[in-house]
Amino acid sequence: MFDLDPGDELALVVETARKLAGEELRPRLREAEAARAVAASVRTAFEAIGLAGLELPAERGGAGLGAVARVLVNEELAAADAGAAIALDPFGPALYGVLELSDSAILDDFLAALAASGARAAWIDDTETSIAVDGARVHAEVAWLPADRVDAVVAIAGDELLLVRDGIATQPLPGAGLRAAGACSLRLEAAPIAARAVIGAGAARARARARLYAASLLLGVLRDACDFSRAYALERRAFGRPIAHHQALAFLITDMQMALDGARLLVHEAAWRVDEGLPCAGAAAAAFAQCIEASRLIGPSGVQILGGHGFMADYPMEKAMRESRALGLWLGGFDAAIEDAGRELCDGAGRALELA
Amino acid sequence: MIEFGVDALTRERLAEARDWGRSAMRPAGLEADRLAAPLPVDHPYFAKFVERGGGRTRWPGPRGRERSDSEPTSVVTTLLQLEELAYWDRGVTVADPGPGLPEGNVLAIGTEEQKERFLGPFLAPDRPRWACFAMTEPGAGSDAAAIATSARKDGDGWILNGAKCFIGGASRADWILVQATLDASAGRAAQRAFFVERGTPGLGGFKIEKKMGLRAYESTSFTLSDCRVSAANLLGGEARYASNAGFKTAMQTFNAGRPIIAANAVGMGRAALDEALAFARENELLRRERVRDRLEAMARKLRMARLVCLRAGWLADRERPNTVEASIAKALAAGVAQETTALGMELLGSTGARGDHLIEKLYRDVKAMDIVEGTGQVQRVIIARQLVGLPR
Repeated sequence: MFDLDPGDELALVVETARKLAGEELRPRLREAEAARAVAASVRTAFEAIGLAGLELPAERGGAGLGAVARVLVNEELAAADAGAAIALDPFGPALYGVLELSDSAILDDFLAALAASGARAAWIDDTETSIAVDGARVHAEVAWLPADRVDAVVAIAGDELLLVRDGIATQPLPGAGLRAAGACSLRLEAAPIAARAVIGAGAARARARARLYAASLLLGVLRDACDFSRAYALERRAFGRPIAHHQALAFLITDMQMALDGARLLVHEAAWRVDEGLPCAGAAAAAFAQCIEASRLIGPSGVQILGGHGFMADYPMEKAMRESRALGLWLGGFDAAIEDAGRELCDGAGRALELA
Repeated sequence: MIEFGVDALTRERLAEARDWGRSAMRPAGLEADRLAAPLPVDHPYFAKFVERGGGRTRWPGPRGRERSDSEPTSVVTTLLQLEELAYWDRGVTVADPGPGLPEGNVLAIGTEEQKERFLGPFLAPDRPRWACFAMTEPGAGSDAAAIATSARKDGDGWILNGAKCFIGGASRADWILVQATLDASAGRAAQRAFFVERGTPGLGGFKIEKKMGLRAYESTSFTLSDCRVSAANLLGGEARYASNAGFKTAMQTFNAGRPIIAANAVGMGRAALDEALAFARENELLRRERVRDRLEAMARKLRMARLVCLRAGWLADRERPNTVEASIAKALAAGVAQETTALGMELLGSTGARGDHLIEKLYRDVKAMDIVEGTGQVQRVIIARQLVGLPR
């Protein structure tokens, strides 16, 4: 029955992530953005606690945890620095396609491609990217990925999952946000397919998990924007009182918190559905869409509350505004999400949101 | 462990609520809306409601064993049930007989004699019986500390004077729990609640309001003119009020009430969503992206509102503070449900303007969800007090 307590084991994992985020990521926020990379010492600390392997099976050296654990950890990391959170995870959303396969050889290939420290994977999906398969080779072009390098591409093309390890061409980009993760465009031109398998219905589940991955990073950025701007509004005084005590701002702060809380519950419910093996595609798509909708309010409002200071790079609010926007453009963004959620809703029989 | 499942018992209760809602509540609600009048006291719906075991008190009886089926229901399950009932007709849920809103107060702080006297008749009601709680006044809504109805000690009793408004079921209630003040300048500490029984001299001037929606139940104004009640009618008895517990009595009711209104709003929004989906399907509109996008937004936000509402209930089940969460649920769900019905109307196009579609009724009905138990603005004040210490 309904329960929002994570339980002791998961709470400990989340606490570990929060500690790392606070001690290692947050103090180097601007440094990582300028360097377009995380510091080696940060990567070492991250690898030491094994957060990348959170969802890998135990026999592959992972923690064997699920989507709920992932979204909780991602929120903690992204609340400190979403770009760094992406940079530190070699697998990212690409993992989910591979995990949905029963073919463990492809998982081994995937892990081998990403074994080097700093290696990164990319996920592409033919529902948003045109992917052309030509025998044993594949063509595709992606305008932006939050990555400084790509060592493996997992592509969903029709009912097939393709793993590409060679012939991956990337071109660096300035990046609108998430610069600590790097930014590049990607081109596969007759790239050899290293491995392939039928994924079928697993593609929808993989897409759901990918969306929850991005959605939970978004939650972290939005939480930080809410917390930081609220704290500022309590310190900054105007017309004889903290600006938070002017009702125009008090209500804005309230609406931001409401938007965050609602979006988070959608993410958690969808993640729970993933872990329970329940239908999750529509729920995850809706959760991502709602996080993006919340970001349209919270990102710019965080800057607004800080006024002129919000616009300046001395404070992290302008970064939160840019990064929340960029995260909502990843993985097909809002339009692809509401398309999937809407299709599931409209194709459904009986009453929507039925529990009985 | 994080879990969003619904157990078998809850499912069963939801199925019962669905069947009753579809067969009895929806028709009764449409009838009242059409006639623009509350369902009369002798409406067969009420008799049927009582016949199937409705309208009873949660109080177990003087020796605690009159009822053997008083298995405690979690707040989460209750909220889901109330969501489902409101799906069929929220106005009818309010019209339902029973000890209603004041029951919680009586259970919490009523004396044993008061429970027996006022809740006793609801143990196995011989006919549909109602009770109601009267807080709101023409000049005091959510600012409960501002109520002006006065209570003056008179020998071994009390004299009440004042006016109450928008009180659900007041003209048909066996008794009304009236919130009054001993000293309007002394704020909350001077407030008391009194049982005023039907027929008490001085209780009168009942005026059933005409409403935009939720017409199945009566919202009634009444006056108290030198209305005398005995000392035994002071809720909790004299000793209870040595401290400032008076105001807290009212606030506790409000705290329990907000997630309920939120759940009601979600149910009403779901009804609008299903009607909109059905309309779009029948008229082959589902291929249109603009139509699908509206429906998707409705479903997504209702799903979110439901979760926010259940969170408030879940905290209550664990006896954890839920002031912020209850207000967030109320503010968010009422807004979402209003938006949902408005989008539903848009989807109907000119059919929505005819005035005979269920979504049109829901559009009128649901507005009250952002008003009762504290408007959306009052909720934001409550939230902001907690989040940023907004001064009173």
